[in-house]
Amino acid sequence: MTVATPPAGATIEVRGLTKNFGAVHAVSGLDFTVEPGRVTGFLGPNGAGKTTTLRMLLGLVSPTAGSATIGGRRYHDLPAPTRQVGAVLEATSFHPARRARAHLKMIAMAAGIDYSRIDAVLDLVGLTGDAKRRVGGFSTGMRQRLELAGALLGDPGVLILDEPSNGLDPQGIAWLREFLRHLAGEGRTVLVSSHLLAEMAQTVDDVVIVSQGQLRAQGPLSSLIARTRSSMRVRSPEADRLAAVVGQLGLAPRRVAADVVMVDGATPEQLGPVIAANQIVVYELVQEAEDLEALFLGLTTAYGAPAATGGQWVPPPGAPAAPSGAVPPPPGWAPPPGPPTGGVPS
Amino acid sequence: MKAELFKMRTTPGLWILVGVTLLLTGLLGILPDFFVTVGPHHTIFTAPHTVPQLRLLVGAGYEPGALLAPVLGVLCITTEYRQKVLTVTLLVTPRRSVVLVAKVVASAIWGVVLGVASLVMVAALGVPLFESQGGRFSTLVHQIGPVVPGLLGAYALLAVFGMGIGTLLRNQVGAVIFALALSLVLEPVIVLLVHHILHDDLNWFPSRSTAALAGGLTRQTQGNAGEGPLLSWWLGGLALLGWGAGSAAVGYFTTFRRDVT
Repeated sequence: MTVATPPAGATIEVRGLTKNFGAVHAVSGLDFTVEPGRVTGFLGPNGAGKTTTLRMLLGLVSPTAGSATIGGRRYHDLPAPTRQVGAVLEATSFHPARRARAHLKMIAMAAGIDYSRIDAVLDLVGLTGDAKRRVGGFSTGMRQRLELAGALLGDPGVLILDEPSNGLDPQGIAWLREFLRHLAGEGRTVLVSSHLLAEMAQTVDDVVIVSQGQLRAQGPLSSLIARTRSSMRVRSPEADRLAAVVGQLGLAPRRVAADVVMVDGATPEQLGPVIAANQIVVYELVQEAEDLEALFLGLTTAYGAPAATGGQWVPPPGAPAAPSGAVPPPPGWAPPPGPPTGGVPS
Repeated sequence: MKAELFKMRTTPGLWILVGVTLLLTGLLGILPDFFVTVGPHHTIFTAPHTVPQLRLLVGAGYEPGALLAPVLGVLCITTEYRQKVLTVTLLVTPRRSVVLVAKVVASAIWGVVLGVASLVMVAALGVPLFESQGGRFSTLVHQIGPVVPGLLGAYALLAVFGMGIGTLLRNQVGAVIFALALSLVLEPVIVLLVHHILHDDLNWFPSRSTAALAGGLTRQTQGNAGEGPLLSWWLGGLALLGWGAGSAAVGYFTTFRRDVT
């Protein structure tokens, strides 16, 4: 008995990728690399240019400048694209009157894929029982699963997924997470976009963070996690004296309430003895780690945010200079409501 | 190619059009042929017997086809945009020219299917009615040769023309309305105006090209759409093919190559 060898992944390379829709700069000089055998999160807020970038990678949108290749070739030039690259772009690319199985058969027919794969992928995504149902009656989650089934039909070595967890229930998200890890474990290349870093944190090995069409950060997730800061939250009726004592240690206390002082970068071991030595009454002493999502928000909302390559965080090439006085936003800072600059598909 | 045919087969639009073709062929094509005028102001319900009348019965699907075959072609391409299936299509076949050529061929084949549906209606309704009214089946059979090839050719090329319209106008509703308005209103008005003002019959326009292609049916029965003589059948077919290929080519360079966002 022979065991089928999973197809090898291929490196995705994006170099100087730029797309302008009229006066709108959707993507500007994007550079990043996605390696096989790893799950790479392509992260950014809505309107960051993620979908446009993925569509350029897949030949659906033509770049204004730059290149996007898979295994050194443009998508157009791949000899058998469906067998090499599987893509999940949106859960709406279905004719509502077409049955799920017919949708997959249509793809298999056009791509010359054996029809036996249809049942295999339907089983894989848990839609075997719904194969004869019309897609119009599917929930968003079921459509997302069907889209994934279509992407897997050719058993490709590269998977590109745009917000694949949209519409999935928690069980579905957990399943998808495990599934993507499994595929990367087989040596395939997995690039998955999301606007939620926290959701991706348990899945991805590497991250590429974009905002306003520009690269903000790139590197292993572990490097990003290492950047998170911790703070001490101290509640005391002697907040003024506490702040003065802490300030003498060279730390920067912040009064966030009448009786609450936050000390960024401090540890309990630093503050505890000082508070005791000065006989300051304390009701509460809590260490608060910075939320990963907050760091992500900081990276995607501040100009001149650092980027990293291979764990060494450096400014992205060609990034605009930081405006005078620009500072990273504080933890918990949220972007203002309303559409992001450009308002292009993301 | 096979997938393009399958794609249409698995959507309701095609089958609705087949149903409408059957209905219109029966109501507007077959039944009126049995109301034969035998004298001034005197019409009776009987089997047609002259050659032009027999040809009208065999080609009863001509008028519905002129209207519905372009709509079929429109649906063949605009459904891709309306249901966003184009994304899937282009992921499987990234070369858009290949997709467009496959759609041209698929439209022509489904056009023929629509034409065959009209002939099935003639066989199912027209022939029994014809025999029940005293007609001889063999006289009808003799008109198949002169009528059917032109009829099916017209269906096929009109569907291709519709596909071209759909390539130019991506909005499905707009493209269907335009295709219907073109054959019902725009073209007759243009042909009439140009005939009276410039004394040109615009023989190469779609409806007159179609009439020329289906010459075995139209020359002896309905006369010409305009005033002057029609093109030869093959020139008519060529002109109609030109409309289809031309509109598809213009659509390819203006809209079909656009970004799919």
